[in-house]
Amino acid sequence: MSTIENISISIAGPDDMLTGQAEAVLTEVAEMLRRLIEQNIEDSIDLRSLPLSTVDRKWLDRQLGHGEVEILLEAGGRSVMTETAYPGVWRITHRDGQDRVVAEFVEVAWVPNIVKPDAGDVKKGYESLLLKLDGKSAGA
Amino acid sequence: MEHGDTLQERMEQNGMSRRTFIKYCASLASLMALPPSAAYAMAEALGKAKRPSVIWLPFQECTGCTESITRSHSPSIEGMIFDMISLDYQETLMAAAGHQAEEALHAAMKENYGKYVLIIDGSVATGLDGAYSCIAGRTNLESLKEAAKGAAAIIALGSCASYGGIPKANPNPTGAVAVSDIIKDKPIVNIPGCPPIPVVITGVLAQFLTFGTLPELDKLGRPKAVYGETIHDRCYRRPFYDQGKFAKTFDDEGARNGWCLFELGCKGPVTYNACATSKWNDSTSFPIESGHGCIGCSEPDFWDAGGFYKALSMPADPLKVAATAAVAGAAVGVAVSFANRAKKGAAKSAHETTTLEDLEK
Repeated sequence: MSTIENISISIAGPDDMLTGQAEAVLTEVAEMLRRLIEQNIEDSIDLRSLPLSTVDRKWLDRQLGHGEVEILLEAGGRSVMTETAYPGVWRITHRDGQDRVVAEFVEVAWVPNIVKPDAGDVKKGYESLLLKLDGKSAGA
Repeated sequence: MEHGDTLQERMEQNGMSRRTFIKYCASLASLMALPPSAAYAMAEALGKAKRPSVIWLPFQECTGCTESITRSHSPSIEGMIFDMISLDYQETLMAAAGHQAEEALHAAMKENYGKYVLIIDGSVATGLDGAYSCIAGRTNLESLKEAAKGAAAIIALGSCASYGGIPKANPNPTGAVAVSDIIKDKPIVNIPGCPPIPVVITGVLAQFLTFGTLPELDKLGRPKAVYGETIHDRCYRRPFYDQGKFAKTFDDEGARNGWCLFELGCKGPVTYNACATSKWNDSTSFPIESGHGCIGCSEPDFWDAGGFYKALSMPADPLKVAATAAVAGAAVGVAVSFANRAKKGAAKSAHETTTLEDLEK
């Protein structure tokens, strides 16, 4: 009797082709970089909203390359923000608590927006630090 | 436990950081085809939003829609969002029953009149004045009309609430209709699918809370962002369609090679939904990845659309074919019907394997 292991399945890759989308993304990144330099406008591209093939993605990642900075964010799952070979262009992947990719962007910004702390959070942190210092001086 | 009034306060109580919430909003914005920058606006506005009252009424349904939503992504942030809305009535999920449940429903409608979001899953029976489907001695028809009066917006969840679904399938014994066939004076968002993709409902709720607007809808009342493209447009097997490589049976070389399932009846080319990108079972796969064509469950009257295994290029609707035959000459239709029945009967008595062809008769 045949078992499932006996059934030979070879999935050919329908993704084995460049669709032209990745090239368009690269052109848009260049335009966004120009706006960042000239008008200080930060922007991003939602990669999941584009029908990029696997080959497209690999091609795009190859073209963008790697820079010097990699930022890890642990907030409801791991996020990786990698500077590309072009300063100001970041490749961002957000994962959820179950390690599933939930969003992917190319962000053109001085620093990825999510990295900057919220003013309210900074204020709360400051107040909590003051309380700690007060406690120490009271204890001393 | 005391809960804060806004989502932000409740998030803090739940130990969720602002960045976690922004990440979640980024994924929602992506799903709703909003620009990436909308994630920040969404996070800010949602953080300030008061807990919205949501009333969820199940009518002629199978509970598949509820299963789809409650079993998805939990216990993720999405689950927490559901904790954060005030789900004031949902028969399957609420602890209360009987008179207590009915009291909770009416109290929620009174307190939040004009502000609550009404979710309906299941079609509305209209036959015998709606007597085919009753809850607490009242017809669904009555309950819908009453609850809709005070609703800010209505979400028709699943193909049954959106279009009548399987209860409406020919010959529609209960006179099942869609919510939009009854309610004409409220904004209605259809989220069809059998079941629908869970994250879509959170996306619609998030957009409503953030911008006070409902998403842009297509001509069938569905959010364009999710239902704007066909399964075929985003299918990973699409290149095989373009190359003319088709599986002819479910176990031939083409099927094993993962070729296009068009000739096996896939309804992907005429079905608007996001299964190919959002996927199912915690983003594991969608039916075509499992080797079965799309059955078109998010389209109106999919059940009567002519057979799941009949290719779109073949006559799509046997009911229409039968009707044509009847016009051309009733005797022809009857003869075809008898011939098909005879074939099936013969196959049964001879213990033959039922083929796809038999299923289509």
